[in-house]
Amino acid sequence: MNRRLPLFSALALSLGLVANLPAAQAALPFGLGSDVTSLAPMIEQVSPGVVNISVSGSKVSRQSLPEPFRFFFGPNGPDAQLQERPFQALGSGVIIDAEKGHVITNYHVVDDADKILITLIDGQEYEAKLIGADKQSDIALLQVDAKNLVEVKFADSDTLRVGDFAVAIGNPFGLGQTVTSGIVSALGRSGLNVENLENFIQTDAAINSGNSGGALLDLEGNLIGMNTAILGPGGGNIGIGFAIPSNMVRNLVDQIVEFGEVRRGVLGVMGGELTTELARTFGYRSQHGAFVSQVLEHSAADLAGLKAGDIIVSLDGKPIRSFGELRAKVATMGADKTVSLGVFRDGKETKVDVTLTKADDDHVLAGSLHDSLNGASLANTSQDDPIPGVKINEVNARSAAASAGLETGDIIIGVNRQRVRSLHDLRQIIQSKPEVIALNIQRGNSSIYLVLR
Amino acid sequence: MRLPQSLIYLLQAVAIGLVAAAALLVLFPQLRTQSFEHWWRTEQVGVASFAYAANRAGPAVVNIYTRSFQQASTDAQTEVRSTGLGSGVIMAEQGYILTNYHVIASADQVIVALQDGRIIAAEIIGFDVPTDLAVLHIEAEQLPVIPLDPGLNPKVGDIVLAIGNPYNVGQTITQGIISATGRSGLSSMGPDSNGRQDLLQTDAAINEGNSGGALVNVYGELVGINTASFQSVAHQESYGINFAIPYRLAHRIMHQLITNGRVIRGYLGIGGTDIVPVMAQLLNLGGRSGIYVEGITPGGPAEQAGILAGDVLLEIDAQPITNVRHAMDMIAEVRPGTEIKISLLRAGEVLVLPVMIEEDNRFQPAR
Repeated sequence: MNRRLPLFSALALSLGLVANLPAAQAALPFGLGSDVTSLAPMIEQVSPGVVNISVSGSKVSRQSLPEPFRFFFGPNGPDAQLQERPFQALGSGVIIDAEKGHVITNYHVVDDADKILITLIDGQEYEAKLIGADKQSDIALLQVDAKNLVEVKFADSDTLRVGDFAVAIGNPFGLGQTVTSGIVSALGRSGLNVENLENFIQTDAAINSGNSGGALLDLEGNLIGMNTAILGPGGGNIGIGFAIPSNMVRNLVDQIVEFGEVRRGVLGVMGGELTTELARTFGYRSQHGAFVSQVLEHSAADLAGLKAGDIIVSLDGKPIRSFGELRAKVATMGADKTVSLGVFRDGKETKVDVTLTKADDDHVLAGSLHDSLNGASLANTSQDDPIPGVKINEVNARSAAASAGLETGDIIIGVNRQRVRSLHDLRQIIQSKPEVIALNIQRGNSSIYLVLR
Repeated sequence: MRLPQSLIYLLQAVAIGLVAAAALLVLFPQLRTQSFEHWWRTEQVGVASFAYAANRAGPAVVNIYTRSFQQASTDAQTEVRSTGLGSGVIMAEQGYILTNYHVIASADQVIVALQDGRIIAAEIIGFDVPTDLAVLHIEAEQLPVIPLDPGLNPKVGDIVLAIGNPYNVGQTITQGIISATGRSGLSSMGPDSNGRQDLLQTDAAINEGNSGGALVNVYGELVGINTASFQSVAHQESYGINFAIPYRLAHRIMHQLITNGRVIRGYLGIGGTDIVPVMAQLLNLGGRSGIYVEGITPGGPAEQAGILAGDVLLEIDAQPITNVRHAMDMIAEVRPGTEIKISLLRAGEVLVLPVMIEEDNRFQPAR
């Protein structure tokens, strides 16, 4: 009896083992586990954190006189007319700080808006205030004064892999909150708009117009990106959408919260994409990396010992695939941050620590310098400009700057008889709080003075 | 210390049981076929991401760039250059790459860009117009090869990933399911030959530039070769209706192209239709199945053998014919120059005619 029983149970056990194996895989289409068959539980928790944004405002467009009329009026005729057109736009936003009422969205959603309205999922409407924005990376930070908000938590977007699930929530075509799903199709995409700072996550989750500024989430409901753009020849989604990675958003938002503006970090290198020919010439085996063709004197890169001909292959241990990616990461990281670059030189890879310097204010809202300059945006002149100074890139109609007589295209070359060559000079002079500010301005071929009060 | 009697008893039972189970699994491998491997692969796939498949299959999918030179008609000096874009799949370490025929159709120069950055000029080994497939060859070391499962059994509803280079944005992976599985018979047609039903259908996003890329399952194994030529023909964007050439068919075509330089299909030279039940009654077929001959190609093998329009073909080499597709597949498999016996029904009588099968030359374009 005693001998026989183990045999019986052994047989039962062995049969059990054999028979159980197929059952173990029955519930596993791709490893989600049997109890997760819907995204609904996650969506229910997160969806209050995604808001609809509607904006209204007026866009000023300069209407120049048609050529035939110019003939009648001659060169002194009314040259250009400012025309205002009211507009309304829709977008999405994500609440990232419930207590402070911070909501992120795309810059292009709230660009030129006079009024920004935020609608929560329960239908409550609030007016939002623009705290800060960064046009080049297309993000904006809004604030609403509301209680009982639900925030969405950030995920570490650097840990994303191609193939991970991605869920988009937004307000496509103004339909109301819509959830779509897909996967991460690619990472580190750039080059859609060369002027912008791009390091996109690409996804096949359906993103359409109105999704802009909305959330891209992982399966746990954490924010991995902000939906921003699509590639679609007909204007609709064809499975190629782009989102700003959450780490980049977070870096920029932190800077806006702390300084009220984005302080662009500067490395001080010029360069381009690594072509196969270049890679071969420099003995590098891959095509992924950023090629340095010039190191600017006295720049952060110069101080750290970077040289022309270097190939930057990683930043803080994360591989750099393209020059565009390096540019976007460096510029959005924030000034005064120290980063570790992986540099390929003379057949060897070394690590170089670089402390990013602050960008020379490439775009400044002039109101931050002086109240009478409100409504103008300033930048350092480039090589294409006739004379070094500070250029007025834009003047809003009916603003203080406009009534002071500033016009788009003006170049400030001096203040109170002191020569101004850069924003740095201008800021120093204005911050010394002189009693009068007389701007010496180069407008076309004439040099004029404008006095600010 | 002595263990209690009952514990020893239990351990004994467990030990014997485990040994017996292991022995069973070794002695009867059919017990572990799917389940164990499945479990193992599922472990590799991990939780809620297709990163495993993307990592396995992604490197084996290449970007293809083509260039063609045409002399402008007015001036012999100037050349008109045009460039093309597509994707391809590395099928073997020896450097064989499958892609769509339409990707390389008018190319004078074909360049393959690997995901590791290597750029290599490719040679066209062969192509097959009906299935829209072409095989390229590159000379390179250590090539990543797409995972292949000869026992692959795709089903409607399986999750699939499309890998390619749409609009040249760079390698892109999109996800969907198999909407229809397609066929693998040698008479299958590709998109340009209006053979939609022969193709695998998916709702994973496939766009211009994806053509020739891979459709893989969640283990990264090749399920089909994506083809975006429907969209370009229709000048329409697609929303969830995309096509791929099934893996099995693609694999067969590739082997023929590598060994023969072309796909050799048998040719009979008839036009036929399936017989619907009403027609079967009219033709007095009884329980037999077959196809109705509507027309005969002049000078073709069928005419030479004496097959007439109005005949009902019943069997090929004693194999009953079920429908036109089936008959076309059977004929296509016959080596040209082989004599087969076709039994047919004519005016209520069954005849058996010998037919000398020729090679199907209808699809060879002049290159």
